[in-house]
Amino acid sequence: MTKTGAQCQISLTVNGEPRTVRAYPMERLLDVLRQQLGLTGTKEGCGEGECGACSVMMDGALVDSCLVPILQAQGAKVVTIEGLDQDSRARALQQSFLEYGGAQCGICTPGMILAAVHLLREKPEPGMDDIRQGLAGNLCRCTGYVQIFEAVAAAARRGVGR
Amino acid sequence: MRSDPAEYDLVAPANLQAAVSLLANEPDRWLPIAGGTDLMVQFAAGTLRARNLISISRLPELRRIEAFAEEIEIGAGCTYSDIRKHESVQREFPMLAKAASWTGGIANQNRGTLGGNIVNASPAADSLPALLVYGAELILVSVRGERRVLYSTFHTGYKKLTLAADELIRAVCLPRRFTGYVSYTRKVGTRNAQAVSKVCMAALARLEIGAIHDARIALGSVAPTPIRLTETERLLDRKPLDPSLVRLASRTAVAEVQPIDDIRSTARYRGAVVGNLVTEFLEKLGGTQRMRSVALDRWNGLPMDEAEKEILPCCGSRAWARSMAARRPFSDENSVLAASDETWRSLGEQDWMEAFAHHPRIGESLAAPSATARSAAWSSQEQSDAAAAGDAVKIALREGNGEYERRFGRTFIICATGKSGSEILQILRHRLQNDDRTEIREAAEQQRQISQIRLRKWLQG
Amino acid sequence: MKDDRIVGLSAPRKEGRDKVTGRARYIDDISLPGMLYGATVRSRVPRGKIKKITFGPGIHWSEFVIVTAKDVPGENYIALIENDQPCLADGLVNHPEEPILLLAHADRHALPKAVEAVSIEYDPLPPVLTIEQSERQTEIIWGADNVFKTYLIQKGDLVGVWEKADYIVEGEYTTGAQEQLYIETNGMIASFDANVGLTVWGSLQCPYYIHKALMALCNLPETKVRVVQTETGGAFGGKEEYPSMIAAHAALLAIKSGRPVKIVYDRAEDMVATTKRHPSRTRHRTAVRKDGKILGGEIELTIDGGAYLTLSPVVLSRATIHAGGPYDWPAIRVRAKAVATSAPPHGAFRGFGAPQSLFAMERHMDRIARAVNLSPVEVRRVNFLKSGQTTITEQTINEPIDLNSMLDRALEYSSYREKKQHFASENESRTTKKGIGIATFLHGAGFTGSGERYLSSVVGVEGTAEGRVRVLVSSTEFGQGTNTVLCQIASEALGLPYEDVEIAQPDTTEVPNSGPTVASRTAMVVGKLVASAARGLEQTLTASGVLGAIHTPEEFRAACRAHVAAHGQFRSLARYDQPANIFWDDKNYRGEAYSAFAWAVYVAVVTVDLTTYSVSVDDFVALQEVGRVLNPVLARGQIIGGIAQGIGFALYEKVEWRNGRMQNGQMTNYIMPTSADVPPIRVFFEELGNAHGAYGAKGIGELPMDGPAPAIVNAIEDALGIPMDSIPLLPEDIFDALASPSKRVIDAHLPAGVR
Repeated sequence: MTKTGAQCQISLTVNGEPRTVRAYPMERLLDVLRQQLGLTGTKEGCGEGECGACSVMMDGALVDSCLVPILQAQGAKVVTIEGLDQDSRARALQQSFLEYGGAQCGICTPGMILAAVHLLREKPEPGMDDIRQGLAGNLCRCTGYVQIFEAVAAAARRGVGR
Repeated sequence: MRSDPAEYDLVAPANLQAAVSLLANEPDRWLPIAGGTDLMVQFAAGTLRARNLISISRLPELRRIEAFAEEIEIGAGCTYSDIRKHESVQREFPMLAKAASWTGGIANQNRGTLGGNIVNASPAADSLPALLVYGAELILVSVRGERRVLYSTFHTGYKKLTLAADELIRAVCLPRRFTGYVSYTRKVGTRNAQAVSKVCMAALARLEIGAIHDARIALGSVAPTPIRLTETERLLDRKPLDPSLVRLASRTAVAEVQPIDDIRSTARYRGAVVGNLVTEFLEKLGGTQRMRSVALDRWNGLPMDEAEKEILPCCGSRAWARSMAARRPFSDENSVLAASDETWRSLGEQDWMEAFAHHPRIGESLAAPSATARSAAWSSQEQSDAAAAGDAVKIALREGNGEYERRFGRTFIICATGKSGSEILQILRHRLQNDDRTEIREAAEQQRQISQIRLRKWLQG
Repeated sequence: MKDDRIVGLSAPRKEGRDKVTGRARYIDDISLPGMLYGATVRSRVPRGKIKKITFGPGIHWSEFVIVTAKDVPGENYIALIENDQPCLADGLVNHPEEPILLLAHADRHALPKAVEAVSIEYDPLPPVLTIEQSERQTEIIWGADNVFKTYLIQKGDLVGVWEKADYIVEGEYTTGAQEQLYIETNGMIASFDANVGLTVWGSLQCPYYIHKALMALCNLPETKVRVVQTETGGAFGGKEEYPSMIAAHAALLAIKSGRPVKIVYDRAEDMVATTKRHPSRTRHRTAVRKDGKILGGEIELTIDGGAYLTLSPVVLSRATIHAGGPYDWPAIRVRAKAVATSAPPHGAFRGFGAPQSLFAMERHMDRIARAVNLSPVEVRRVNFLKSGQTTITEQTINEPIDLNSMLDRALEYSSYREKKQHFASENESRTTKKGIGIATFLHGAGFTGSGERYLSSVVGVEGTAEGRVRVLVSSTEFGQGTNTVLCQIASEALGLPYEDVEIAQPDTTEVPNSGPTVASRTAMVVGKLVASAARGLEQTLTASGVLGAIHTPEEFRAACRAHVAAHGQFRSLARYDQPANIFWDDKNYRGEAYSAFAWAVYVAVVTVDLTTYSVSVDDFVALQEVGRVLNPVLARGQIIGGIAQGIGFALYEKVEWRNGRMQNGQMTNYIMPTSADVPPIRVFFEELGNAHGAYGAKGIGELPMDGPAPAIVNAIEDALGIPMDSIPLLPEDIFDALASPSKRVIDAHLPAGVR
């Protein structure tokens, strides 16, 4: 079997830091993050863009990193769960996830937190319907979602990072 | 992950010209990839046959939405998020905005593109029925130039397109002629979100004096391509809407579709649901007819000056009210709404200003002195979401209003229905950057929207 | 002197901070130096003899490690109950996706192509694809008669009841396969060194199950096999027995190559090749008095075990014992069997047989209600077990459970009466029909009968040099709260702050065997042992004079530090002791089946949309008596999570089978509920205590799986007036039921001798 392509150099910002990686252009952003950059907080749950466990922010938009070829992240600003340590919205969400039982096995949690951060940026005062819709791309098998909704609503009520 | 990235090549030309040149040089070699929401799934499953891909996800020429007088042009590279958030699309092509909002979750919507949805040509694609009923045209581009094709002629069979090997879709054009139409769209999926559709319908029609005009019904997932139910449409054309017509139309629709059994559903289920959706659409049309006649009939019969007085709170411009009253009798709500828009667009700035002056400042409960009690009540209803804003937002709004008034010399006008305080604040700050000409047009547009909402409320009693 | 009580509070999840910050490390986040990746070549036919294996062109095969059945150092089976399941098929395949050979390579991406390039020729044999086909025994695929196991429960005198009956009510109820769909797929890393032995790390529920399996497979002694659990992203039973298989595969590759090997399944492989909930068919024939009282009945229960025995006897056992529900049966015969089909073996999934037989029982109660013209509420009241009465295995209910009052409360919380009336009148004029349905049920926690005695679980609690306390158990955390609850218990028992207690990562070289993390036994059984061991630790300190009988936490810490300084790290062990009054007769399947039952009443409100035939669950009330709530947030989370899975079981999760193979092995096509599909779920707890459980707790992990499906289907029947007896119940099925005017004819086969 022949190797068709050559690797290329991709420069992007990850969690605020400029990074350069050498990769085949069709490598998935998910795999580059996890394997080359050692950022294993972003998870693979399905490889089909259904479960949202691989959610990251790319140029401010929530995306499934399993569906992004690394070449398309050239010059992009990517934020993963590891990059949210200083984000006040994320910290409030992490805290309320702990208080309200939003995380059980934890595998969906990074993606869920990313999605919740994205939701609160767009809708700082979400109603329950907004929360359901905002998180509908993130599957959780453990919690049945209710305590996740409560955690997000609580973080919103606390007036996160306006 | 069942593919080896080392066996694939992906290039990202910087602009459209470079992209079509590459396609022209080796037309059968390069497969365009935009958001990747279809192709990357195939890639991970090990079923992506193409080995050379050309990324078109960031071509700026494909990412614009432009409103012209006769049509709105949506770049093929616009994402579902771009589409569902765009005010003009939401307003004039609500079924497309809706389809964009129920394609996958937010993450999919941020990447998937309209062009991708069209080219991937799944019969289950969410946006395609809407494109069919809106009479979309595609602008195709290659090194040989651009050409326009009716979207309805674009699919010739299951995943077969009349797209040359070196062509890309540059834009989708939607004609701006559906004000006053009743629209109906519904997706029947396997669950409430992140669902592939089992049946998907988009429908439009106009009701004039109790007869159906220009009925358009399109369906996905019930044939190898998305289809218009041309027989059912013909059956409905210029007929009065009554229960026996509804039943006949429903049966005709079921006979027109060719659904299959597959991994998600059965042919007999899909067929039955098609019939039910057509019924639901026609009942909505009928409901439109039934609900509106009482208030409208009464108004139709009033003397001129009373009629003017009664309709004035919906807009605030006496010239507008006079014109509307003069155009009576109206047969139904849709014609009232259409006339309102037409009238409004034909007025001058003086009349616009008169309408603007009727509104209280956003976020404040004081009504302007010339407003009527009714318009004041409506104002406070419209601003109810904004009223729930926290103190910081309220203060910022007050300041923003002041700034606006100083800059433009009139109250800041916005259609506040459904908008939170912070949203309004964002919009206000954005509009403060506009030049005078742009801003007065924007304010007029907002007033137009407000009038539409108020007219509906008024007619529904 | 004790601290404030920590048991009963929502202590924060021990490993929670790592989970919400993305720092928790699951198996695919881990790599070892020199590690290879492994993949499995699987059967593409449901059944056949392997004729020829060809390694196709285009692959540099010399770069690959290749393992077949011949490479198994010990015995080629996965040790579990019987040893019928090969680790690698040797000449014969008995189900699609059966593992045949293994490949490893340094480049993860090289494997899928290599797997595709292995072509295998078979002499096909006729597969058996349904329970009915298996029963016909025209093709024997397992043992002498395709039957893995049977049970017979008999109580009272059945012969007389048919004559006394005013009604004889029959029904047949079926449930489909269900995929556990943990968001983290199965994965293992194995490493072998001739001196140290074999080590495996991975996503798992039961380290000692794997330990036992690897000893036999690799012919290694106990001390040369080490199993370590890594953070596990969901399990629900799907990682009870299956991990032994994937661990075995990684181990064989590691042994052959001399390098560490990681195998992680992608979603498609995990869905089609690993275990699912046993499909079931239950037939009821019941003698009923005109006041609704059940006089007696026959239950015939059959589950589909797939191609190998694995855990089917135990699933069948639980299904059988729960088959009678929370009702008084003066006379009953339950005949239960597990049969073989040519599908990948079915396995453990939360509830483990009880959701299947309780679905049937609760649907049947509504059928009885209609036959005798009583409401579903009334017919249950007449039949509820009361304190002092016996279950179908003749276990006396010793606790003051009052199901009638529980039912009253659940009806009140759900506004049952008002809604039922309201719906009845509203439904006349609408295309959306609303309904409300109930399910009343029980769930026995812990291993059945003598199971706990047989397990003989051991728990350790250790004092450390820093003066902290560490819990040592093989019980694993996979989201349900093991770490948190066991630390709460230890901290409560010792009067120490929760922060002073930690729990060791389950590692078979470090922790004793506290039994598998299954059967809702961890909080209840293992927790009680933790409390015991903790007190033992305290006694060690007080006995050695470094600690007074009454002490502060600071004094405890100081004493602990002193003791370690003097004697080294020390631990106290506690072993399970069967309570004297628990008696179980395995032969006649009679006696105290479980040391405790939890009891529940669930109420579901649904809307059936007759335009699309789809069902939405609008409201859900879950009331359960659970002994003691050890951690309210965690307990509520367990109930809600289980209900969401139950909603999936009832309405969404259908496995599409063709020729024994799952066709919809993608998350796009196997439908689990999203956040937009779950209703508001209101959870209520009651506490009667439990002498046999830690701080009075009963197990609750599986309980919530039993109620949702029958409550929902009962509600659908209420909405439509048509009984549906099969799940999953998709809109297509509802459409078909409405479209065909005749109802299903129920045809129960009576055994000879019964009228």
